[in-house]
Amino acid sequence: MRELRSELTRLNRRGIWLGWLGLMAVFAVLINTVIYTIAANGSAPPGGGPGVAFPSMATLESSSGIVAGVSSAASMFGVITLSFWAIATASDYSTGLIRLLAAAQPHRWRLLLGKIGALLIWTVLATTVAVVVNLAAALPSAEAAEISTDFWMDDLVSEIARAWLTSFSASVVWGIIGLVLALLSRSSAIAISVGVGWVLLIETIIKTASSDAGQWLPGTTLTALAQGGTDDLSFAGAVLIGCIYAAVGLIIGLVIFIRRPITE
Amino acid sequence: MLTSIIETDTSAASITTDGLLRQFGSLTALDRVTVTLPRGGVVGLLGPNGSGKSTLIRILLGLIPPTSGQATVLGHPTTKPARYAGDVGALIEAPSFVPGLSARKNLLSLARLRGLPTTRVAEVIRIVGLEGRENESVRRFSLGMKQRLGIAAALLPDPALLILDEPTNGLDPAGIVEIRQLLKTLAAEGRTVVVSSHLLAEIQAACDYLVIIRFGELMFSGPMGELLDKAGARIEVAPEHPADVDRLRVALAAAGWSIEDDSLVVHGSAADAAALNRAAHEAGITLSRLTPIDESLEDVFLEMTAAPTRNPVAASQGARKKAATNA
Ligand SMILES: Nc1ncnc2c1ncn2[C@@H]1O[C@H](COP(=O)(O)OP(=O)(O)OP(=O)(O)O)[C@@H](O)[C@H]1O
Ligand SMILES: [Mg+2]
Repeated sequence: MRELRSELTRLNRRGIWLGWLGLMAVFAVLINTVIYTIAANGSAPPGGGPGVAFPSMATLESSSGIVAGVSSAASMFGVITLSFWAIATASDYSTGLIRLLAAAQPHRWRLLLGKIGALLIWTVLATTVAVVVNLAAALPSAEAAEISTDFWMDDLVSEIARAWLTSFSASVVWGIIGLVLALLSRSSAIAISVGVGWVLLIETIIKTASSDAGQWLPGTTLTALAQGGTDDLSFAGAVLIGCIYAAVGLIIGLVIFIRRPITE
Repeated sequence: MLTSIIETDTSAASITTDGLLRQFGSLTALDRVTVTLPRGGVVGLLGPNGSGKSTLIRILLGLIPPTSGQATVLGHPTTKPARYAGDVGALIEAPSFVPGLSARKNLLSLARLRGLPTTRVAEVIRIVGLEGRENESVRRFSLGMKQRLGIAAALLPDPALLILDEPTNGLDPAGIVEIRQLLKTLAAEGRTVVVSSHLLAEIQAACDYLVIIRFGELMFSGPMGELLDKAGARIEVAPEHPADVDRLRVALAAAGWSIEDDSLVVHGSAADAAALNRAAHEAGITLSRLTPIDESLEDVFLEMTAAPTRNPVAASQGARKKAATNA
């Protein structure tokens, strides 16, 4: 598909490699340091906001402990994914490149599908980097915090596969949200601030105000999706709501992209 | 007065517009423009800043729809841009690229989008004279280099119709001559090149056919020579014997020529020289001078467009010319 190859060519640049994959790696290290330190201090984990859901000691010592970092910080990885989907989309407008692209391929839905395809490939890469770095960071973090890793090798492959898959699915929905925000605003700065502001501020406020209201909100849903379900929202429910977000987002994105005149 | 031949056979036209109107809110960027541009040759799209040139180009490329009216490009309606996109290359306003990518990778991504062989990238880089710099990041390119890269991108599909919005913007004098030469070469190979500009000398040097718009209104559309000949062209005459000046003036006026006050400057184009000479001869006067005053396009252009307050004289003149071009 021409549009996909074209988009991959444009994404193959240093800023994306270092920015996206680099941030995923740095964050994977950070989150592991944080969750083990908090668990070791014995302090009660801070209330699970939509940002990071701190795992309990029991979780960390179980077989899923080795991938706990990826699952618990899913929203943070999600926000990074959202940002790069938004940057890749909005920069076409800020550079004016969209004019050339749309003039060369007037079937705009093909352009958008090509972009989504390319970003999916990058999200596969980014999720893999996060999981791999997490694997490397978990053991030294656990040892430093003197947390038992005896069960970590049980079900290793299936735990990794599950963590990768749930984290990837959540990230894709985050990415689609970033894409839609970027198509609406045509500005990566606005798209990212709205996305990040939503997760870190607005959704937290809504949930604080009414704890049972916000289970279907994106941050909460996608965290539940990444963790394979939570007490409040089952995995199946999270998958369903996540799919609805993705589908609605894709439809809105396509309609905006095809309909709105290109005046940049 | 001004007349232009409006071709009715649209297959011979590269671009046609019919009552093309585009409004942005209350602002009318294009005001019912009807033109037919020939196929082949260099067409100049001339107008002062904000006159609607880029808006017209965007409509032609299917980027924005007109508020009303129709247009065709290479015989296809602009409502179906996919039918002609492969034959059209364009530079729309400032050249636009991914700053963090090299020139070559930028062109490569566009070549891939169009399904072109990657060898075409090196060809267009050579045509616009960017060899040696193609692996540098576009972020470090000078304005002129970006402009060349923009032209390279427009040339990628080897288009039958090339639309360049202010292509020489930011180029040095040598670069301007070079690009002008390139456009002429491309046109000589049978392509149609539409160039928009507010640089009059540039258009005058490069174009065969001209469209002038102002405040979104069509002021003129026709071959370049027609504009120069008809829009205020004059001939300076002088009798052999200075004593005959008044007699010559009377004779020419009697023959129907309009003469400027205090001088022997007659309104007429170079093609009228023989008729003038004959009129003088019939009055028994031998002319010692018969010189067409070479009016630069700039004078004509300013006369047509420089009236920001739309004073009545210019407005009526504009209306007359507009009526004539639409005839
Ligand atoms: N997206 C837009 N929204 C609102 N107004 C617009 C938009 N695009 C163009 N205009 C207005 O339409 C008019 C024509 O603009 P256009 O860009 O077509 O002019 P132009 O002839 O290309 O000018 P220049 O020589 O400066 O490039 C201007 O008054 C401009 O402000
Ligand atoms: Mg313009």
